[in-house]
Amino acid sequence: MAADTSASLGFSITDTGHASKPSRIEDEVVSLFEQLRAPVLRYLLSFGIPVPDAEEVLQDVFLKLFQHLRQGKSRANLQGWIFRVAHNEVLKCRQRTRRHSSRFTHLPEFFDVASDPGPGPEESLAATQRRLGLLAVVRALPEQDRCCLSLRAEGLRYREIAEVVGISIGSVAASLEKSLSRLTRSEQT
Amino acid sequence: MPSENVHLSEHDLVLAADGELPGRRKAQVNAHLETCWQCRERMSSLQGTIAEFVRARNRELNAQIPSASGPRALLRASMAEAASSPSPAWPVFLRLRWPAAPFGRLVMTGAAFLGALLFIVVVFQSTVSAEGPKPRCAITPGEARPITLKEVCDYAGAEVISRDIPLDMQRKVFAEYGIKDPKANQFEVDYLITPDLGGTESIRNLWPQPYSAHWNARVKDKLEERLHELVCSGKLDLETAQHDIATDWIAAYRKYVGSN
Repeated sequence: MAADTSASLGFSITDTGHASKPSRIEDEVVSLFEQLRAPVLRYLLSFGIPVPDAEEVLQDVFLKLFQHLRQGKSRANLQGWIFRVAHNEVLKCRQRTRRHSSRFTHLPEFFDVASDPGPGPEESLAATQRRLGLLAVVRALPEQDRCCLSLRAEGLRYREIAEVVGISIGSVAASLEKSLSRLTRSEQT
Repeated sequence: MPSENVHLSEHDLVLAADGELPGRRKAQVNAHLETCWQCRERMSSLQGTIAEFVRARNRELNAQIPSASGPRALLRASMAEAASSPSPAWPVFLRLRWPAAPFGRLVMTGAAFLGALLFIVVVFQSTVSAEGPKPRCAITPGEARPITLKEVCDYAGAEVISRDIPLDMQRKVFAEYGIKDPKANQFEVDYLITPDLGGTESIRNLWPQPYSAHWNARVKDKLEERLHELVCSGKLDLETAQHDIATDWIAAYRKYVGSN
């Protein structure tokens, strides 16, 4: 899917081995930034880091992408590459934050209910409860399962998720099966 | 071919919903779904849960995402600044390519493995006696897994890094260092050789680093980033980087980064 995405974005999937001109690469990176900013930010926020930290990580990721393309490295599956770097950078960011701040003396809350935008005018009380119930189930999942679920929600295939998280494709399938089973059960109760 | 009376497993349903079933199995599962109302109802319920989850998640997270205009401008400025510096492309002689031939791959893998083994032996025999911000060599000599330069650099920043060090392993490290009842705000169990340079999550590569020290984890992060940069720009070989950070990371900092 990601290779298709690269193709649809007009990127060659062959490694030319030559560095392209910076101005053209800058345009390419900005184009990717505009298309993937929201999906990657959602993934970063699902780690429970504050929005400014997520934005900072995102900047680092796309600056790394710029350097990556500038060095003429592979353009294959750039979407997968971006999520993979984002995954690694957010883990590093969280480790740094834990070292130097008391903000994360406890595990970060995922989908903190305090940040819930509240029911819209069209949303019934039952629908709100169902939504919050689902988010509570997600919050209780182990981090690896949350990563797999979030990446799948952003449209990554099992192979890509496996590469981002650093586990086997079978483990991705088992993780999603377990998480979806829990979510389905919570819907039925 | 599954019998119509044998219902689909949850595993098959999830894979079918995600379009991840292999061809033949996909045809079998689709054929079963056409004839089995119960499994169709289960599939529908699963799809409904997925849709509900995606809606809830997007609603929750999209509300937190600010406008893109400022970040986009910042990115453009950062790229312009980076573009004004010389291209970090590798020298030609260091552009190692993974050989296409199986024999070539075997040779390259073997060389990397032998290099790592040699490194481990060298590090094991070296001594680090200082206490505090440095580890004790007898307990933490540093350990690296076999890793090629290509793995270290080709996906700079995209390598799979270790997740948080498991609590059991942290307890073992504290026990080895004779630290009883460590306070969370006093120490951090850290890698001696960073995973970015091939360091393992073994007790031989982990030690309790005090937060209070002048030479603390944040300072070491700078060294790690610098060594990675030097290794990948061809200015320093990987084994030397691993050796120097494992032997005396403070001396390595002074050598490669400058005074702290």
